[in-house]
Amino acid sequence: MAISRKSRNVGLTLALALMAASPAADLSAEAQSAKAEAQSAKAASPAEARSAKAEGARTPWGDPDLQGIWSIATITPFERPSALADKAQLTEQEAAEAEKTFLKTQNQDRRDGAGTDADVALAYNDFWWDRGTKVVSTRQSSLVVDPPDGRVPALTAEGKARATARAARGYDSWQDRSLWERCITRGLPMIPGPYNNNYQILQTPDNVVILHEMIHDARIVPLDGRPHVGQSIRQWFGDSRGRWEGNTLVVDTTNFTDKANYRGSTEGLHLIERFTRVDKDTVRYEFTIDDPTTFTKKWTAAIPMARTDEQIYEYACHEGNYGMVNLLKGARVQEKAGGEK
Amino acid sequence: MRHWMVGLALVALFILPVAGQAPSTYKAPRSPHKDGKPDLNGIWQANNTANWNIQGQAARQGPILELGAAFSVPAGLGVVEGDEIPYQPWAAAKKKENAAKWLELDPEVKCYMPGVPRANYMPYPFQIVQTPTHILMAYEFASASRTIYMNTKEESPADTWMGWSRGRWEGDTLVVDVNSFNDQTWFDRAGNFHSEALHVVERYTPVSRDVLQYDVTIEDPKVFTRPWKMSMPLYRRAEKNAQLLEYKCVEFVEELMYGNLKKKP
Repeated sequence: MAISRKSRNVGLTLALALMAASPAADLSAEAQSAKAEAQSAKAASPAEARSAKAEGARTPWGDPDLQGIWSIATITPFERPSALADKAQLTEQEAAEAEKTFLKTQNQDRRDGAGTDADVALAYNDFWWDRGTKVVSTRQSSLVVDPPDGRVPALTAEGKARATARAARGYDSWQDRSLWERCITRGLPMIPGPYNNNYQILQTPDNVVILHEMIHDARIVPLDGRPHVGQSIRQWFGDSRGRWEGNTLVVDTTNFTDKANYRGSTEGLHLIERFTRVDKDTVRYEFTIDDPTTFTKKWTAAIPMARTDEQIYEYACHEGNYGMVNLLKGARVQEKAGGEK
Repeated sequence: MRHWMVGLALVALFILPVAGQAPSTYKAPRSPHKDGKPDLNGIWQANNTANWNIQGQAARQGPILELGAAFSVPAGLGVVEGDEIPYQPWAAAKKKENAAKWLELDPEVKCYMPGVPRANYMPYPFQIVQTPTHILMAYEFASASRTIYMNTKEESPADTWMGWSRGRWEGDTLVVDVNSFNDQTWFDRAGNFHSEALHVVERYTPVSRDVLQYDVTIEDPKVFTRPWKMSMPLYRRAEKNAQLLEYKCVEFVEELMYGNLKKKP
């Protein structure tokens, strides 16, 4: 998804850049962040600064209490729009403006001329979307926080080849469609999507569970220090091990299957996630992607998880995947009619 | 004949109490959440043939010739009290038809969420993660899961595959009331089925460190003439390194479900 480089309006840029956070655009992973050189320490966010006094609740056995239902819905773009190149942080006014503009430009209930493609594309109107209306509470201008330019580092040659191969998708088979369309999983890491952004965390002394509403995944992270499973076991969610570092839950995940393929990553992906309760209503979620065969350097994103009163719904997907049937059937009908799809 | 009868009566004397309720001698460790409730955390699995058939059956050849003895159908005693399921006449006919069209109609074949209680006795482990307010049961099969909401009267917001589970403690027994099902799940591979009016009451009682006694009452006035029961032990997966792995079966059934829609080479 191309992002307008010319836009002078912070709000509009952010609104457009939301697409960068959407799963479809997530796949394109264009490599235009080559300039990024500094990799050192991340800038301390206001949330981190606050964390000292946000000791928060403890479980009965003394661990920090992360339990609750949390939403990562946000309109903050995944990567920093180029118009905001030097702006890691929005002012309150800029944030308010971005939210206002977003509401205006992303209104999916509008009609764009009956019968036009643009109008048909709005069939998923605002009833279906639930991507939030707010920028993240930290007001960071992108979810990527390291490298400091807020953009995913350049892909390696190998990574580029993989991303290109994957971008060439058609309708010949279900295998050409995304894992999401196939109802297999949203996978890891946790990235805001257009709907069902809720997660529930449960704890015992031995395990932390992160329940993903989207395509129903219950991710159980052992805390007992056991080693990773054998190398021959490769999984969509990899194999996660957790430990407490002060108030932060650190989850270390290896053993991914290369089918999971996050932004072109391989089975060698090493994912490190950090969960910190920064105040009553916020868990700071931070993940670092370490896959040297895919990315020219490690990179990190930070996403505040906001407490929500919603409950987790059962997300049946594959059970009613008429979309897949209709996509493939439609393509076959078009072929028969002799038209190119 | 008489000796045989006496033998049977004696056996019944010993077996029935175990099937019906737990001996009161075992005291389970308490939850680390310090709410005084028994600790059911762990990875559990049934070890029986209920997923093949909740009723008793003799072994028979499986449906795929090439799989021979490796994947034929095992014999089993069944888990239904009295071994009888009280179907209404139309439903008995439907069950028979389901059995005849097993591979075509069984939702397990399509990797659909298996529903309750079937999820608990499929040949895959499941994990209980217990807190005072929510008890999660996470199943390996299809990454299905269900949350048991404790001590709530809240009704389900929608009908579901895995049911709407509300729990309470009766002594050391976790009692779960499950409703709001759809009519798409089955009880087993033998075609035993229910309607959306299904109401399940489950009782989980720790009877030793590594065994939960699992007793289920099934009620569905649209399909059965009366409520009926099944029961079985659930065993702890006691391996030190036990953990749930993935059985994300969607990709195993795509060819089966969409193969006819693939572009012909």
